[in-house]
Amino acid sequence: MHVVIINGSPRVQKYSNTEKIIAAFAKGLSEKDVTFETYAVSNRSTWDRIRDAYLKNDEILIALPLYVECVPGLLLEFLETLPRKDEQTRLSFILQSGFAEGCQLRCGEAFLEKLPEYLGVRYGGCLVKGDNFGIRLLEEEKQAQATKPYQAMGRLFAEGDGFFREEAEKFTGPESFSLPMRLLMGLIFKTLARKMFQKAAASWGCRVPLDEKVWETGR
Amino acid sequence: MVLLIDTTTEHIGTTIEDELLRSGKHAAGFERIDTTGMRISHCVGCNDCWLKTPGVCAIRDDYEPVLRKMSAADQVWLISDTHFGFVSWQTKNIVDRVMPIVTMYLKFKDGQMRHVMRYDHQPDIGIIYTGDGDQAYLERWCQRTALNLGSRSLGVFSERRGKEAVSCML
Ligand SMILES: Cc1cc2nc3c(=O)[nH]c(=O)nc-3n(C[C@H](O)[C@H](O)[C@H](O)COP(=O)(O)O)c2cc1C
Repeated sequence: MHVVIINGSPRVQKYSNTEKIIAAFAKGLSEKDVTFETYAVSNRSTWDRIRDAYLKNDEILIALPLYVECVPGLLLEFLETLPRKDEQTRLSFILQSGFAEGCQLRCGEAFLEKLPEYLGVRYGGCLVKGDNFGIRLLEEEKQAQATKPYQAMGRLFAEGDGFFREEAEKFTGPESFSLPMRLLMGLIFKTLARKMFQKAAASWGCRVPLDEKVWETGR
Repeated sequence: MVLLIDTTTEHIGTTIEDELLRSGKHAAGFERIDTTGMRISHCVGCNDCWLKTPGVCAIRDDYEPVLRKMSAADQVWLISDTHFGFVSWQTKNIVDRVMPIVTMYLKFKDGQMRHVMRYDHQPDIGIIYTGDGDQAYLERWCQRTALNLGSRSLGVFSERRGKEAVSCML
């Protein structure tokens, strides 16, 4: 098997969470002697090459961040440039997001489920996983730790059943959090998390509150 | 205030505007923005609007005035062509770029994680589309999007049902 992996994030590769997820996933593929080539839509100057790879290969995987409940505008723009292909081609997805619960990604997944039909190709399933926002803020070593579970998914994918196996389905984790968990997390959101975010912001050179109202709204 | 944001190639926002004027329902005021010729980039996910310059986008193009109007409006109607049954990338870019009016802070709302909004007032969102839109999916997406902005969906209408959409305007 040879897989064309496309990073669908608009974020530059260096800072892209998807990029780190792909790296871990690809490690898993290599362990099973599956070869791959990778591309990123964030670099518009490579779009012709990506399209070419999409047309010449029949195992395509698009890994993407959820952007407002669906695919990022930039990826949509790229997708609109793809000509129709045939059923020989299988198109699978890794959909990852900031919010942690599985239910947050289902609207985006529903779009991806139907997309292959519009493109004339076969659907290979969608690996769905939230709670990835912070990857870019971690140190390199911790990034590797955080993305390690995707390596096992690479090995699973190498077995040829796309993301239709039970292990892939389970990978999402809980659809939503229980009430006690929500109360606890809610408390952390109001206290510790705000402090952590403000600290991260300070390291970015930010000197104002993160919830500052910058526009006079007149309301 | 009703804000119409038209990204369609046929500029169907003008038809909607005519209908709105005819209906006499524009007392609360409305504005139509046609994005043709405007420079509106996609969101590049830099996170500056959350972590570096809270509330301010790092991309200096024609978008900020649009977002200011969206933020102040009672209703935002996205007037869009459709591809893959979904809104066009031009419309999706406009929605992806709303992050400056959202903060990084988190909370639970109706059992799900949400971000705390930056301002007290949030616009409701509706869609008017041309072409072969997936009505059920667009409704689902519009509702989810409104949920993330702490507002409500005004509904989704094909161009043929423009009159009905206008009847939902303030
Ligand atoms: C404009 C924008 C919209 C986003 N919308 C959502 C969303 O609707 N739900 C969610 O859980 N995460 C959302 N996220 C978070 C990203 O999916 C998440 O941070 C992801 O890990 C980014 O991956 P990347 O670094 O490869 O772009 C959004 C991020 C951005 C910048």
